[in-house]
Formats: sequence, structure tokens, C-alpha cells
Amino acid sequence: MNNKSKKNSSLTPIVIIGLVLVIAVGGGYMLFKTSTAPKAKTSVANKTPDTSAQKYPSAPLGAQPPNMLGSPMAKVTLEEFADFQCGTCAAKYPMTKELIQAYGNRIQFVFRNYPLAIPAHDKAYDAAVAAEAAGMQGKFWDMKRELFLNQASWSTASDFRAILEEYATKIGLDVAKFKSDMSGTAAKSRVDNDLQRGRALGVNSTPTFFINGEMIPFEQIKDTQTMKALIDAELAKANSANQNTAPANNAN
Amino acid sequence: MSESETVVNESGDTTSKLPILAAVVALVGLADGVYLTIHHYTAEPVPCGDAFDCGAVLNSLYSEIAGIPLAAFGAAAYFLAFSLALLTAFGNRVMWKLFSIQVVLMSLFTLYLLYLQAFVIKAWCQFCLISAGITFTLLIIAMISKLTRAK
Repeated sequence: MNNKSKKNSSLTPIVIIGLVLVIAVGGGYMLFKTSTAPKAKTSVANKTPDTSAQKYPSAPLGAQPPNMLGSPMAKVTLEEFADFQCGTCAAKYPMTKELIQAYGNRIQFVFRNYPLAIPAHDKAYDAAVAAEAAGMQGKFWDMKRELFLNQASWSTASDFRAILEEYATKIGLDVAKFKSDMSGTAAKSRVDNDLQRGRALGVNSTPTFFINGEMIPFEQIKDTQTMKALIDAELAKANSANQNTAPANNAN
Repeated sequence: MSESETVVNESGDTTSKLPILAAVVALVGLADGVYLTIHHYTAEPVPCGDAFDCGAVLNSLYSEIAGIPLAAFGAAAYFLAFSLALLTAFGNRVMWKLFSIQVVLMSLFTLYLLYLQAFVIKAWCQFCLISAGITFTLLIIAMISKLTRAK
């Protein structure tokens, strides 16, 4: 009898510990899965009073000219801040590709380098410099594609530089020029300029997207449809503004 | 025989109250750690007061060790502290010794993290400060326990 109660009391803490573990891991996982839009909005709002790039006219412009696709005359600008060594950024690569293809010249897509300075991203900065060095030969987007699609193979490789040169050869770069551009200051300063712009706009994680200067909460970039809805809404806004001004111009 | 029973009872008093308190405090630390770990993976900025720059701290060079967020290590440490304190509360005194050693190590690491925030990153994050507060509270509990037992 006594032994039995002793056994029970020695089991109780184990049961409680197990329960706490299940709650912490399970609860954490559930919260992770259901992190909702309003929550992110509150947190963004708390972090900086206003995340609109347009309302930060003093924000540095970033690399000039920017890495841009679509039309600079488009009414909607989609600006992405990304890190080549960030898994989510690579996972978002097909989404941005689809958006660029779907909207063509109706939008302007700007890619900004935002390599995070964390140990797990030890090659992120060099990868960004490599993309910019490729850009100096007009192949920024090709290098971006190689880096994102093959992220798993280079991000943990010890012969990272050699792999970069492989990509350079593959996309048809002059490898000697690519190597000298990588060690030069021009490509680095483009990355640094993008970083400065991102910091000024309150980017603190990657990827971060802005549509016409409005920071898009992370959960809204989870699927292409949500992004399309946001872009469509901006296009509709721009069109209705056009229609409103057109008759006025005619009257004048 | 009756003397030894008295000793057990006395030590039982200290072990029952302080470890339970420590377990509860460690649970708060566990919640803080889990919260920050989730934010690390969802890449959502955490709510941050004006006096703080959580993004600068939580995305800094020091926010990960071997690709694992520091917050996850924190959560694991608080879980261990909770477990040790709870086992002590149920009469396993050896666990209290382990708890005390762990809490001292955690406090030293916390001092290092506070140093990083103050002098290296030059920014503060309130969730990290809450965690520091919790670690030091656990240390104080362990010290009180040591002092009362020494008497």
C-alpha cells in the first residue's frame, strides 16, 4: 500500500513534466501555424509607428539603379527585401516569379538585397555581392535564380566560392570579371545601399515585401492569391484615380 | 529515529515551497522562450516598446547558435529548470542541486546576453529583459534555499 502510494507520487512529477512539454511544444506549434494577420499588424504598428515607405521620404534610395523588372512607369511597385540564404526567401522565389510573369509591365518589381548578419546566414552577404557582380554583366536575375534554386547545395558548402564560379560559368559570365567584381567595392556598396534602405524602412526579417511603399504583413505573402489580390487592389486604386483625373483634364 | 524524521520534515518544508515557486517562475520563462522562438520562425516582428529595438536584438548576429534560435535554447533551459524544481518539490533533493548549478550557469549566460545588448548591439528587447529577470529570480530562489539550509 505504502509502496503503491510512493510509486504514484514519483510518477506525478513525470506526468506533470510530460504535460508541460506537450503544452509547450504543441501550443507553440499551434500558435506558429495560426499566427494571424491582426497580430502581425499590431506588432508592426508597435515596432514603428508607420511602416509606409512612402511616408519615409528620407529613407535612402538603395542601390541605384535598382534591380528592376516590369515597367518603371507602372502604377504599382512591388519591392522585395530578401536574403539569398534565407529558406523562406527561396521558397518565395516561385511566387515572385509567377507575379512578375502574371503582371508584366503593369507592375514594377524591385529586388533589394537584405542579407541578415546572423551566423546561420554566413554566406548571405557574399551571395548578395555575387548577384550584384553578375548584375554588372547584366545577369543579376540569372544569378538570383541559381542562388535561390540551389540554396541547399551552396549554403552549407565549404567550397562556396567555387560553386559561385560554377554558376557564373553556367549563366555565361566572364568569370575573371565576375571574380574581380566580387572583390571590388561597387557590388558591395550596392548591397550596403539596399541594406541601409531596408533598415530605414523598418525591415527586420526576410523576405519583406512592400506594395507601393506599404509593408505587407508576413502571413499575407504566404500564397500567391493573397498577393495578387493586394496588387489588384492597388491597380484598381490607380485606375480609378486615372479615371477621375481624365475627365477633369478633358474639361480643361 | 524521531530526530531523523524531524530533519526530513524541516528540509521538506524548504524543498516544498521554494521549488514550487521556482517551477512556476520557470514556467513563465518557458512561455517567454516559446513565444520568442515562434516569432523567430514566423519572422513576424514582436510587439516592441519605443525604448526598445527588438528587431535589432532578435535578428542580430547573436540570435542563433548553429542555426537554432537562442530563444529555443532558453525555452529548453527553462523547461529543464522547471522539471528539476518540480522533481525536487516531490522529494528528490539531488535535483535541487542540479537546479542550483543550472541556474548559476544560466545567470552567467544571461550576464553575457545583457552585455551584448548594452555594449555590442546597443539595443534592448523587453522579452529578453523579462527572461533575464526570470533567470535572476530563479538564482535568488536557489540562493535563499542555500542560505536557509545553511542555517
